[in-house]
Amino acid sequence: MLTQLDSLKTEALAALAAAQDETTLEAVRVNFLGKKGSVTALSQNMRDVPVDQKKEVGAKLNDVRTAITDSIESKKLALQAALDAKAVEGIDITLPGRPGTGNGALHPLTQIRDVAIRTLRRLGFILAEGPEIETEFHCFDALNTPADHPARNEKDTFYLPDGRLLRTHTSSVQIRTMEAAKSLPIRIIAPGAAYRRDEIDATHLSVFNQLEGLYVSNDVSLADLKGTLEAFFREIFGPGTAVRFRPHFFPFTEPSFEIDVKLEAKGKDARWIEIAGCGMVDPAVFEAINKARGDTLFDPETTTGFAFGLGLDRLAMILHSITDIRHLIENDVRFLQQFAA
Amino acid sequence: MQVSLSWLSTHLDLSSYTVPQLSDLLTFAGVEVEGIEERGVTTDKVVVAQIDSFVQHPNADKLSVCQVNDGSGTARQIVCGAKNFKAGDKVPLALPGAVLPGGFTIKEGKLRDVASLGMMCSGKELGLGDDHSGLLIMAADSPIGTPFNQLNPADVLFDLEITPNRPDLLSHLGLARELSALTGIPLKGQRDYTATKTKTDSSDIKLEAKDACPLYTARLIKGVKVGPSPEWLRRRLESIGLRPINSIVDITNYVMMEMGQSLHCFDLDKLNGSIVVRQATDGEKFLALDSQTYTLQTDDLVIADQKRAVAIAGVMGGEETGVTEVTTNVLLEAAWFTPSNIRRTSRRLGLSSDSSYRFERGIDPQQVQGASELATRLILEIAGGTADDVLLVAGETPVLTSEITLDDDRARKLLGTADLSSDEIRSILTKLGLTLENGRWTVPSYRADLQRPVDLIEEIARVIGLDRVPSKMTAVAVPSDATDRAYDFAMTIRQALVNRGCFEAQTLRLVAEAQLADTLGGGTGVAVKNPLSEDHTTLRPSIIPGLIATAALNIRQGADRLRFFELGRVFLKLPNGGSREEERLAILISGPVSPSSWHARTPQPADINELMGIIQNLPGLSRVSIEPKAVKESPANFLLTSELRAGNRNLGWIAQLHPSRARDISARHPVYVAELLLSALRQGSTGPAKFEELPRFPGMTRDVAMEVPADLPHAKVAAFFATQKEPLFIASEVFDVFTDPTGQKIPSDRKSIAWTLTYRSPEKTLETAEVDAAHQRILAALEKALPATVRR
Repeated sequence: MLTQLDSLKTEALAALAAAQDETTLEAVRVNFLGKKGSVTALSQNMRDVPVDQKKEVGAKLNDVRTAITDSIESKKLALQAALDAKAVEGIDITLPGRPGTGNGALHPLTQIRDVAIRTLRRLGFILAEGPEIETEFHCFDALNTPADHPARNEKDTFYLPDGRLLRTHTSSVQIRTMEAAKSLPIRIIAPGAAYRRDEIDATHLSVFNQLEGLYVSNDVSLADLKGTLEAFFREIFGPGTAVRFRPHFFPFTEPSFEIDVKLEAKGKDARWIEIAGCGMVDPAVFEAINKARGDTLFDPETTTGFAFGLGLDRLAMILHSITDIRHLIENDVRFLQQFAA
Repeated sequence: MQVSLSWLSTHLDLSSYTVPQLSDLLTFAGVEVEGIEERGVTTDKVVVAQIDSFVQHPNADKLSVCQVNDGSGTARQIVCGAKNFKAGDKVPLALPGAVLPGGFTIKEGKLRDVASLGMMCSGKELGLGDDHSGLLIMAADSPIGTPFNQLNPADVLFDLEITPNRPDLLSHLGLARELSALTGIPLKGQRDYTATKTKTDSSDIKLEAKDACPLYTARLIKGVKVGPSPEWLRRRLESIGLRPINSIVDITNYVMMEMGQSLHCFDLDKLNGSIVVRQATDGEKFLALDSQTYTLQTDDLVIADQKRAVAIAGVMGGEETGVTEVTTNVLLEAAWFTPSNIRRTSRRLGLSSDSSYRFERGIDPQQVQGASELATRLILEIAGGTADDVLLVAGETPVLTSEITLDDDRARKLLGTADLSSDEIRSILTKLGLTLENGRWTVPSYRADLQRPVDLIEEIARVIGLDRVPSKMTAVAVPSDATDRAYDFAMTIRQALVNRGCFEAQTLRLVAEAQLADTLGGGTGVAVKNPLSEDHTTLRPSIIPGLIATAALNIRQGADRLRFFELGRVFLKLPNGGSREEERLAILISGPVSPSSWHARTPQPADINELMGIIQNLPGLSRVSIEPKAVKESPANFLLTSELRAGNRNLGWIAQLHPSRARDISARHPVYVAELLLSALRQGSTGPAKFEELPRFPGMTRDVAMEVPADLPHAKVAAFFATQKEPLFIASEVFDVFTDPTGQKIPSDRKSIAWTLTYRSPEKTLETAEVDAAHQRILAALEKALPATVRR
């Protein structure tokens, strides 16, 4: 019987080795281990085995069963592995991926505006806005720009027939915000479009984009202005960027400064690039606001503030080395694609 | 403004400063240096030489061979092309080795076989003015052999941007005063130009408009001989870009650039009687020095004689009374005109001059008489004649400055410089010409821009510079508001569209009138009164016109697949004449649904359902059911125009660009557009989503295929399913729409649609029989409610 078992084992393992699919495996299992299988049949002869051999034959029987079962299992795994391997045969992972709908891109102006906004929000500024069709009061009078100021004429400013105008700067949002404020401090930024009657060329647009900032409280100083704007421009242009403030003149701030950052262009010496205007809010602005509000929330004796404004188009051009501002309004997809994330 | 360093140097010794240092000094004093130009020769190898004799060049008609004396004792031979000299003239001679402006090096050489040992120069060749008509003929007494730059030092021209609050810097003296204050270098002697005597009750000047002209002075100078100005004067004017005219005019220009006071000289013999300073009469015609005739109105100020206006005050003199070569008697005007008046007239007439530029910014009233005196002295010196011994004065010198009390603590606080001592503040303001008396600062007459304490603080800031100010950072928590939330929402929308393959455009808000026909959503834009060109006349009522222009441009550049969107403001005219500004989102798609690739070289072109899909997947709309509702009259440039509604809310509009309009822009595929109201989209995203328990029991689905009329909208079928009250029926979805225009598989006026219906109970696993029963009830209702034949 031991011999029989050995030969059955050999036979079964050979059959398994030759099997090429699961059906054959199953047939082999049935042939040997099934109810009528040859191993099962042989095991029924156990009762005829002499007592002193029972232990040995029993062990042998188990051994043969286990060997066949294990072999079926491992053969199954091997067959599955072969199938799985076959399933990825010929796949070329180096081919380009399926595009789906493809990705578009945010306009570079949106991107730079978002960087600026995220940076300033971290510094505790919130967003504000105002109309683009403005009154002379909000665009000029309240900003200490008298009626005979050079900017206030039909040569430089778009007017509507009803006397309103297209805001020449986002500074009008300063006025809108202070008019509506319920309390101090005010700490806002206002991105938005502004309009000037400029012929469109490589460096000018009649509609352009600015970012205004205003911080008004009771103890704002020039030191706050300096610290805040230095931090802002270093976030935009990199931590080591040199920033300088040149005295300048704006009707609605005093003192007023223009801000330059030192930037390196490829193959050229680093040079100072004018990037923004800023200053401490002129007390005359607070007086105009109080008059319009009919209260003294902005007490010119104690209230101070700083304001700044920068051109986003210009910022985008500097950051991306864009040589002609008209690219920003033409929306050639070959241009836009270059700014895909 | 052009400023000459050598001219400035007549007022203070700047030799210890390099040009870049001076430039920085000015820049950080608030005077922007827009350009720096070095003029004249720095080499001493250009010397004064005298032309002893010259003969015609043997081989060239246009050349002469000159023998010149360069002071070395040996005659030097020079071949020269100029013709404007005679023997005995003294000219600048560039010796071999001299480097002329522009980097041109002079060498010994031969011109048409004749040796030439140097070059005689024109003004232009030496970087002096633009005169290239011939050699620069020097004064007869110029010492031979002297380096040219000893007689005509090289100069540096600064092109400065003077801010409008600093008219006192619009002159060399004014700038010198400022530089002296900033550097501590003293001015070279205070010049005293006080007129000897004045006569204030003269009947020769009648001041009728005291508001516009508080002070008018006249000096009569007789017997002058008008001619070209001497070389030094011409050189001075030319150095800053002014053209010399004649000695009298040149002197008035010189004084203006020296002191900032604009003057005017009349030919006294052409004046009819005494001077009247008056408002113009309405419609009064005036022939100005520029040979143009201007029509004046009553708020213009004129200087007149007894018959007519002879000058537009402070702006320009008259042609008929100007000084010419034959003038012998002059009236020299020096006055102070009210800035706003000059500005108004200059702007209205479109006539700006160096004079109006200064008057409209405000000149120093205290120097009116001094400038008149300086001009008088120069006229007598250069043009001869005799001046009246009195200056005729009408009106009074206006006082524009007042005393200011400055709280030093306030200055320290505003500047954020706790360490700024009061001594330092005093020292700064004193250097700038202010004086402190009894705690009050007196401002010099030329600094009328200093009126309030904050003006003085600005001066301090300017002088100490921002390097002295510490950098402080105060972040304050301020609660966000609706604008912040709107911005964040807009960015989410943008990102979603970018992920869907769309490119963000930004088009100009000012569009052409012709573009308005591309408006989607109705509304008229807001027209600008003074557009710059026909292309930009109107504030857009819709973003679509801009996107169609964008599509057109990209099609011209060869683009096939167009996926654009723009978020931005539109402007709607209101019936009451006012306007409303609104944020919108516009989308334009055309061409292949995906970029071409090895999977699909030319994917199928977009249809309006793709655009609907983009819209339905927008942030804010995921839980909103959008119903398109065809508008009664589609605008001419569109087909299929439909309003997109969510319940009672209008979300915007969708349409196909009319094929004829699409052909206009040479579109290769149908073009689809939509314009959505951002505020309406935002209403769909209200607050955090609320969790709903997940179903505990499995659902069962049943499909239904039916044949319906081809024009039965999907929405009708959807509405039927949505309103069924069958308790177990919880969802329905269309999964097939089939039409056959050929009518072979299904009549062409019919379509086959297929839906899958889902049944579920929240309480138990459903039995097949109960689902079947429910399904049959729905199908029966369906056939009753709709012209549908269910395929069973």
